[in-house]
Amino acid sequence: MTRKKLAATAVITIAGMCVLPLGLGIYPQHVLITSLFYVMMAASWNLLAGYTGQVSFGHAAMAGIGAYTSGILAAKLGINPWIGVCFGTLLAALLGLGLGSLCLKMGGIYLSLTTLAFSQILQIVIVNEYDVTRGTMGLQVPGLMGDYSKLHYYYIMLAAAAVILVILYRMIHSNLGMNFRAVQNDETAAAAVGVKVLQMRVLAFTVASAMAGFAGALYGHYLLLITPEIPSLDLQFYVLAMTVIGGMGSLIGPVIGAFTLNILAEKIRDYGEYHVLVYGLVALLMARFAPNGLIGIWQRFKPVRPR
Amino acid sequence: MLAISIMNGLVMGVIYALAAIGVSLVVGIMNVINFAHGELYILAGYFSYLFASAMGLNFVAAMLLSIALVFVLGILIEITLIRPTYGNDMYSLILTFILSIVLQNAYLLIFGPYPNKPPLWVKGATDVFGLFFYGNQRLAALLAGAAVIAAVFLMIKKTWFGRIIRATSQDREMAELNGVDTTRLNMLSFGLGCALAAAAGVILSPVFPVTPNAGVAIALTAFVVVVLGGMGSMWGCVVGGLLLGLVENLGAAFISSGYKNVFGFIILILVLLARPAGLFGRAKI
Repeated sequence: MTRKKLAATAVITIAGMCVLPLGLGIYPQHVLITSLFYVMMAASWNLLAGYTGQVSFGHAAMAGIGAYTSGILAAKLGINPWIGVCFGTLLAALLGLGLGSLCLKMGGIYLSLTTLAFSQILQIVIVNEYDVTRGTMGLQVPGLMGDYSKLHYYYIMLAAAAVILVILYRMIHSNLGMNFRAVQNDETAAAAVGVKVLQMRVLAFTVASAMAGFAGALYGHYLLLITPEIPSLDLQFYVLAMTVIGGMGSLIGPVIGAFTLNILAEKIRDYGEYHVLVYGLVALLMARFAPNGLIGIWQRFKPVRPR
Repeated sequence: MLAISIMNGLVMGVIYALAAIGVSLVVGIMNVINFAHGELYILAGYFSYLFASAMGLNFVAAMLLSIALVFVLGILIEITLIRPTYGNDMYSLILTFILSIVLQNAYLLIFGPYPNKPPLWVKGATDVFGLFFYGNQRLAALLAGAAVIAAVFLMIKKTWFGRIIRATSQDREMAELNGVDTTRLNMLSFGLGCALAAAAGVILSPVFPVTPNAGVAIALTAFVVVVLGGMGSMWGCVVGGLLLGLVENLGAAFISSGYKNVFGFIILILVLLARPAGLFGRAKI
């Protein structure tokens, strides 16, 4: 796709997304807002798994760090939520930098183990520190604006998701993105041609963590009640399934995955709480037989147009 | 208080070591971490509950049958999910993580969220050195765990299969050149790793009832033990398991019980900071 065509597609998509919620009721609007949160989460997780070949199981935990940091600052100290969101993003980035530089020198498996442990520990700390976090009861936080309107939140989340996708696009199509892919394909060869492998890995993890923190902080101020559900393994799995089913290693795959799964989940819920099990099985089949996800399947069967 | 904490620490330490040996074996041979390790532990607990409590089998028969079933399941998992991912470590991480979530939700659907447990093997309590009374079931679990660990060590040191395992974890290509069928070895050792999770599950489930989500904490502890001891090191598992069991229980008794599992994480971070290869691990060349 040429640059012009791509820009045109992006503008049309965003314009379409802007009018989309206008005629809808409050509930579909809510589903769209949560979908946009998942778009940010899945797209940033994809930067790790799809572009640098490392698996973090603490992405939801980073969203939790963002949400709780911003939420606690706003609810306990009365700090403006927008400043809180910045602090949440910053803290998630710092934790990403710390954990990343600690375990990535030992290889990718250590990152997976440590992030899994980190997300469990975060959960324990949140439940135990009842005075600060209100434990499983959830922490009530103020909204981003004085008045509460789903439509306004929708536009905020849409803008945030667009910003994140643009940043990711720029990163992936720069020298940095080339370095990331080199690290993913062959670490030794990348090191041999002068790519700083460890730095690239830590950088990708830090950026992805910061994005998760940012998404989580915004999401928390939308929900108005932050619970340990945000940094849970269930949410982590959800993000992972969206990326795997949508298509790892492509920019648009996780976006499609996020919308498809989140909207379908609402339909499956009519029959009971089966959606996690169903998504698990579908994701297993996808990861096994169609590792490039829905995007990969579409590309395989796309009719080749004569030039 | 101190004596009973140490006793608890020893019992838990042996079980941690048992759970971790399965992980360590698979990492050493295949460089694959099975994130569904804890869920297989739980599955064995459910199986032994079904066979012993619901179907009235003898508890020993129920335990052996459960371990055998999980062993077969492990082999099936290796053939269907792990084998196609050779050479791409990332996919095996993702696949086993998804598998663990699928299993958790399947348990929730089948068995419900309530804790289930198989019957106790022995009743009553024993006076330990006149210090305190300790449940017989826990003592039996300690002995059974130690026996299984000893059996694994014997197998690895003395048998031909153990020699193949050692050769392959030292140098995979060299072992292949000497005629080792590494594909079959992978299959068997993955099954064996799962069976060891199952052994830990059937031994511990009468003491700690199984719930659909309980496997996460078990698996995490096993992973911490493996990192602490050094990936692929068997002695590391035993020492690391005992160390973690003691630290957790002493910490829970004297610092804070709510933070019991956090001590393991702190140890993990300290190990990564000070000695990333673990206590008995070989540093990467």
